[in-house]
This record gives sequence, structure tokens and C-alpha cells, in this order.
Amino acid sequence: MPSQLNLEELVQDSRVHRRIYLEQEIFELEMERIFERNWVFLGHESEIAESGDYKTVSIGTQPAIMTRDEDGDLHVVMNRCMHRGSTICQDQRGNSSSFRCWYHGWTYNNKGDLIGVPYANGYGSLFDKRKFGLVKAARVESYRGLVFASLSPEVEKLADYLAGAKYYIDLFMDLSPEGAVEARAGTHRYGYDGNWKFQMENGVDGYHPNFVHQAFFETQAKKIGRKVMQIFTDNSDYESKDLGHGHSLLDMAPRRPAGTRPVSNILRGATSQAAGEAYTNSLIRRYGQERTAEILTASNVNLAVFPNLLMIGIQFRNTIPISAKRTDVHLLPTTLKGVPDEINIARLRAHEAFYGSAGGGAPDDVEMFNRCTDGLRVKGADWLELSRGMDREQVEADGVTSAHITDEVPQRAFYRRWKTLMCGSPAEAQQVKPLRVARTS
Amino acid sequence: MPRLSRAEAEDILYSEARLLDERRYHEWLNTLTADAIYWMPANGDGVDPNREIALVYDNSLKLRDRIDRLASGVAHAQSPPSRTKRLVSNVQVEASEENAAKILSALLLYELRRGKERIFAGRCEYQMRFDDSRWKIAAKKVILVNNDEVIDNLTFIV
Repeated sequence: MPSQLNLEELVQDSRVHRRIYLEQEIFELEMERIFERNWVFLGHESEIAESGDYKTVSIGTQPAIMTRDEDGDLHVVMNRCMHRGSTICQDQRGNSSSFRCWYHGWTYNNKGDLIGVPYANGYGSLFDKRKFGLVKAARVESYRGLVFASLSPEVEKLADYLAGAKYYIDLFMDLSPEGAVEARAGTHRYGYDGNWKFQMENGVDGYHPNFVHQAFFETQAKKIGRKVMQIFTDNSDYESKDLGHGHSLLDMAPRRPAGTRPVSNILRGATSQAAGEAYTNSLIRRYGQERTAEILTASNVNLAVFPNLLMIGIQFRNTIPISAKRTDVHLLPTTLKGVPDEINIARLRAHEAFYGSAGGGAPDDVEMFNRCTDGLRVKGADWLELSRGMDREQVEADGVTSAHITDEVPQRAFYRRWKTLMCGSPAEAQQVKPLRVARTS
Repeated sequence: MPRLSRAEAEDILYSEARLLDERRYHEWLNTLTADAIYWMPANGDGVDPNREIALVYDNSLKLRDRIDRLASGVAHAQSPPSRTKRLVSNVQVEASEENAAKILSALLLYELRRGKERIFAGRCEYQMRFDDSRWKIAAKKVILVNNDEVIDNLTFIV
């Protein structure tokens, strides 16, 4: 247990202590109490579409393999030979119905069963292969293709866990007239020598864009860039939201009356009128006018799903904790099924312009994470201030807490959940907590 | 015009390396054709940029915007800017006609930024076009060895 200050005191209503970004001991507790007891995002079903497909992933800091077996079922098995501890899969991705550990030849199928032990006579008649199957994630579920795993069996159903985030996940997927996206367009991988929570805070931070991304908005995005900057100024009427369960949102749905033209979006690109019309018509055929208008506007959000998933632009973003001061981030851009190629190409090019290690936007966020890691070496200032907008929170009819888009509602939502999981018992963490009542001044 | 020789190809690449090391990006852009494409795949050799994202896939307009952003003074990922030294090697003229040529080369790039040193290495492929009395870059493809692994910051022009 960290000395001198217990975890309860490190996260307060309006501020968090610098130690939670720096100390390895706290990081290890986060792995144990957050990543190893909760639903954790791993990837998208389209990445392992065929029988035998697999992808290596991390659950917290533990290496695992996400597979699809011959019956089409998903499995998440730990990447660790049950003999003497070697990893059994060395690739990012591949296709195989089995995995062989090359240390002593033990072989597993892609469901995790031990199917082969060389020179088995050395183990005698009492040796039971069934006792040496790979460790598996206790639960694996997917929602609209998003694959999550939990190492603990004591988690609610994924759909219940996703709670208020489901509506926005649905919008993301319903941008396709087939209701499905594919994450087969490659992966961007970047990282920084800093804490994972910087990334999760930043993805739903509506205060920073006009400063961190000013150069992008004014050069690479130009006309539309200036309009985007308006969203993140103090007098806009856009919102940030606490969806409950630690999930949160920046809501950038256009305010003009819902039409059915595709919304031109610097993160999704612009396309020809013909392609746009074909696309909108296909949405209307599938969903009707009203839902189509809703999809095209209300999908303009940045969504955070606690603890490690962000849905921004066209991508699924996986924040991968490595240590207290090292984080990797993997971006999975998606294409829409059933749309003109031109639209998917525009999506990819727009994504590239901002994201990835050479992007015009994301690396500037990472620069800030690095500067914060440096700055937090100062011991005379212990706290990071997260009070922005506390006096203007509103609780909406559906129980969602909202404030201005530049306010730190999402970060406070994240840390409320963090505190419940880090300090409460597992049973407490599962209960739905009543949301804060709006303050009256 | 005569076919491109290895010595000329080396000169072109050494000059390019100096421009980029000195961050004379606008001058570098003038060595490209108007229809040039600069491609850095994000996964090995890169197969089809219309089906997968790249680290960079810029036409000259996007390159101009990128360069303007880097020159803005508020491109924070390059504040301070990376200090680099490129070593260009293994230069081969794979093909040359009168007005077009393909150059292959290897690149070793040392980078220093915020006290951290990094080495990048890769293979480069240039499509050259002889236009307006000089050889210009019509396409540049840089295949970094580590392009499918975590790269913390690649915001300078490679």
C-alpha cells in the first residue's frame, strides 16, 4: 500500500494526486483492481473473421491471444505455456488451429486445450492433459463486433456494463447501411513514456483542442478547421457528458436541423456529391429518414469506455498500459461495409492526416503527455486540478450528467469509477452508484 | 537527356538529405513534381493505400499543408524540433529511361529530441522524372524497418 497517503485520498472530487501517474505500486494495483477484474477492450471481430484467425493482445500487462475456432466461436487464452512459462505465440496476427510452444513442443488448440505433449511417457498415467489447458479469460463477449474479455467471472453482462455507451456504439456501427464496420485497414501504433491515464483523459478532453491542435486546424483543416475550433470555445453550446459506469463523451453533434446529407467531418473526410447521395439513400433504405438523420449527426462524438477504449473519428483506440511511465496506444481505423469505396478511402485519408505517429494531431497530444510526465517531477505541487465546470453540471432526464464541452466532466467520471474499483470491494464496484445531483449556486 | 547514373542519383539523394536535415522543407517540396506522392506504409511494404492506412500518404497539396503546419511555430510535437542526420547508402538506379528513373536506396536516420536519441532505418524507392531541366521526385516511398511497431513520434519529414 502506498505510504503516507492512502488511495482514497489520492483521488478527490475535483482533483487527483500526481502520485497516481508516477508510482509503480499504484500501477500494479490498477492492473489488479481495474484491468484484471473488469471488461477490457481487445479488438474487433473483423480482425479475426475467419476460423483459425488470431491476434495477440494485452489484458493489463498480461499477454493473451484472441482466437476464432472452427465453429466460429471467440476465445481469449493467455499467451503462456502451462509447462515452463514461455509465450506460445510470437506474431501480431495469423491463422492457425493450434499453437506450439517451441521450448519443449507442447501444443495447444486455439480453444486453449492441451492437445500434444512430446515423449508423454515421462509423465506417467496420472498426468491429465485437461488440467494443463491454457489459462483463459473467464468471460469473453462482443457487442456490435467489439470484443471484450474479463479475467474475473464476476462481471455483469457486457451489454449492461456498456450502459449509456451502447447508444453511441450503435451510432458508430449504424453509419454502415449493413450495420457493420471492418477493422482490417491496418493499425497505427504509437506510445509515450508516461502513464496510461493521460491518454484516457485526453481522448474526451474538449478544453485542449484549440491549443494543442491549433496548427492542424489552421493549416491542414483550414476552412472546416476554423469551424471545428468554434466548437471548443467557451461560448459554444456543445457538451461533455458522464454516461455512468466511468464512460464519458464529448458531444459534437451538429446543431443545425437534422438533415440527411452526410456530415462533412475532418476526421471522416469529404466525398463527391454522387457518393454522398448513394450513401445517404442506402442509409434511408435501411433505417428510414429519421434514424438516418440521427445517425449522421449524433454519431459525431468522442466516446470513452472505461478503462481502455476510446472511439474517436473512425477508429477504435486501445490504451495499453505497460508500466507507470510507459504506455502503448493502438488505433484501429474502420471502414464501413456496404458503402462506395470513395467513402472508405476518404475515411482512411482523413484518419491518416490527424492520427498515427506522423499525424498532424495525435502526436501533439502525446507531446503534452510527455511534458506532463516531466512537470510532475515537481513535488511542491501535488495536485492536478479537474474542477472545470463543476458549478455548471446538469443532470438530464436519462440520468446523464453534462456540462460544457470544455468542462472536465469526463475526467471526473473516469476518476469516480477509478476510485470505486481501486478502493471499494469488488461487490461494491458492481453496484450502480446514484449520479451526483447538480449543484445549485 | 541522358539516363540517370548512380553518381547523379547519389547527388540527388545527398542533397535531399541535407535539405531535410536542415528542415528546409519548402525548398525540398520544390524538388517534387506537382503530382508527387509521398508514401510511408504502416505495415511492411504496404500493399494498397486505398485499403489500408499508412503513416504518411500525402500528395503535394497535403505535403504543403504539413510543411505549413511544421512551420507554424505551434506544431508542438516538433517544439523543439528533432535534430537529425541522415546517412544515405546502397544507392542503385534500378531503371532509367530518358525522362524517368527509379532509384533504390537505404536510409539510416539518427534523431535527437528532448534528450532522447533514436535511430530509424529503412528502404527508399524514388520515382524520378526529368522535368524543367532537372530531375524531380515524382514519388517517394519510405519503408521503415519498424513501421508496424510502436513509433512514439515521427512528425519530422523523413
